[in-house]
Order: sequence, then C-alpha cells, then structure tokens
Amino acid sequence: MIAREETMRDLMRLAQAGDKQAYAVLLEQTGRWLARFFSQKIAADAVDDLVQETLISLHRKRASYDPSRPFLPWLAAIARYRWVDRLRQTYRHAADELQDQHSEDSHEDVVGAKISIDNLLHKLPPAQALAIRLVKIDGLSIAEACIKCGQSEPLVKVNIHRGLKKLATLIESE
Amino acid sequence: MNKNFDIAALVDDLEPVNPMQQKIPLVFLAAITFMATALVIWAQGMRADVLAGHPDEMFLIRAGVLLLLGSATGYAVTSMASPAVGRSQNGWQVALAAAAVFPLAAIVVASTGDVGPAISAMESGMRCMSYSLIAATATAVPMVVWLRKGAPSSPGRAGWLTGIASGGLGAFAYNLHCPFNNVVYIGLWYSLSILICAIIGRLVVPRLIRW
Repeated sequence: MIAREETMRDLMRLAQAGDKQAYAVLLEQTGRWLARFFSQKIAADAVDDLVQETLISLHRKRASYDPSRPFLPWLAAIARYRWVDRLRQTYRHAADELQDQHSEDSHEDVVGAKISIDNLLHKLPPAQALAIRLVKIDGLSIAEACIKCGQSEPLVKVNIHRGLKKLATLIESE
Repeated sequence: MNKNFDIAALVDDLEPVNPMQQKIPLVFLAAITFMATALVIWAQGMRADVLAGHPDEMFLIRAGVLLLLGSATGYAVTSMASPAVGRSQNGWQVALAAAAVFPLAAIVVASTGDVGPAISAMESGMRCMSYSLIAATATAVPMVVWLRKGAPSSPGRAGWLTGIASGGLGAFAYNLHCPFNNVVYIGLWYSLSILICAIIGRLVVPRLIRW
C-alpha cells in the first residue's frame, strides 16, 4: 500500500501531539516510502541503513515539521540530507566496495517524482552525475568506473567530489 | 531492515512536541536588534539630523536597505530550520541585490577620483566595523540556536545567510550613529563589515548546526 500525503500528514500531527499508535503507523509507512525513495539511488545493501538513519532523524527533528504544510516534501528534504551525508561518508572513507544490485521496484508516485533524487542528479553536469551514479549508486570501484565512462581516475574522483558538493547546495534550491 | 533496529523503541521514546514556530526567533531577532541599536546610541550617540527630525536622504536609504537585507535574510535563515523540498525563500536575493547597489555605486564614484571621507575617516570606519561586528554577533545568536533546534538541510548556505543577516542588522544598529552620508564611505565600510560577517558565518555556523 502506498501512503498518501494527507494520511501521513495527519499521522505526523498526531505523533507531534504524542499519539504513539499513530506514530507507529507513521514510522512503518515512512519506512516503506523511504525504501522506495532510496532504491536505485544508493547501493541496495545500504538502503536499509539509510532508511533507519532517516527514521531516527525524523524522530529527533519531528518538531521541525510544520503541520500546516505538506509532510512528504519535509520528509524528502530530510531524506536527501541523509542521502548526501551518506554519500559523503562513504566517499570520505573510500573503503566501500558496494555490490551491484538493483531493485526491480522503481515505482515513483506523483510526489515522489517531483522530489526525486534523480531530479538532483539531472541538475549536475553529465560527467559528475555519471561518476556519482557509477561509484556511489551502482557500486563500481573507481577503476571500474574509469573503464565504463572513459574518464581518468583523478577525473572520476574530482567529479565525485564536485558533484557531491553541488548536490548538497542543490538540496534546498530545487 | 537491520535486525537491531527497533521501531518500537522510537515509539516508546515519543514525547509530545510543540511544532517550531518561526515567529519565535524573529521576535528575538527584532528584540536583539533593537537592544543593539539602543546600546550603540547610548554609547556613541544618535545622528544629529535624526535627533533634529530631519534625516538625510542617504541615511534613510541606507537604513532601509540594511533593515530590508537583515530582515529578509533573517527570515530565510529561520525558514531553513523547517526544510521542505520545493520550498525556497528567495526574498533575500532581492534584498542583497539592492544592497549591492552601494558598493557598485562606490566603485563608480571612486573611479572618478572622489573618495570623500572613505579613506581619511578610516578610524571612524574601523569603529563602524567593530560596532557592527559586535552587534552582528549578538543578532546571530537566535538564528544559530534556532537552526540547531531545527533540521537545516543546507548548512553551508545557512552559514552564508546567517552571516549576511546578522551583518545587515549589526550594520543597521551602528547606522543610527554613523554621521557619514558619502556613498564611497558606505560602499566601503558597510559592505566590508557585512562581507566579513558573511565569511565568518560560512566558516563557523555550519559546524554548529550539523545534525
């Protein structure tokens, strides 16, 4: 079942008022929504961790949700912040060899399409978006990405670095 | 999902929260700006033309632009505590463009060789900057506290805007004393103090508000 904006907004309002039952339903629905949101935006085996981190952020920052506004754009902003943060972490540590696994589920609902992470990637220069997609989402090593996209190793690294930096600044400017 | 992750734990931890209301930091921002302005007037005195009830046109324009810059940017900063994809506050860009007229006009006028008191009154200019920076630091506090409480998803931009907002309001506070109406003086010293605040904001604020 796909959660609807109105339903989630109502659940979040109740959660802010301390309704634990509504909160449990909200977290479950949000977890599913986030799993779809992150699918194909990060290596499949990293999706669960990212969903959990985002749920914890939702919990910690729930007061920042304005109940007079839509819920999903707020959730998406938090999800994208956590996503970029995760990409930066994995890039910084340079120890990730993510598996090339793809989810078959690529459904995007209307809201999801509007606030999709793909929209962000499309705003990057093609070379930067390709480098991020190959290494950070498809899970290729730098060397494999070089072969696939025809860029040199330093160029792939620079494109990832610059692309991630630009992604962070794009988060609120879309 | 990770077996160690338990949604029930988050549910158990749930306490009622009051949704953040943007008017709270804005009221604090206005109050601190007012207090900073009062302190400047108490320490340095108010401009003679304002006291006489006949303020110079340049003073009015300068005060209006600084207040507009500080207010619009401060509003944008406090909005950033409650993020949402597709929602952006762009009013600050217009205010910043309006404020940029001063340094641009200063460059044009200075290029003719008429720099007025901009250089000769350096001591006054430094005092202008010092007071503006102190007042800016005070006005930055409610914005940083609010951002820490919220969920700003663009810390770098939040840093720039906090610096610009506090710089604008800090300069506004000093502007009630500043006796100079020369455009080169304003374009140099006021722009410099706002620029310094913006750079400090960019360097310091993101570290304070990451979550």
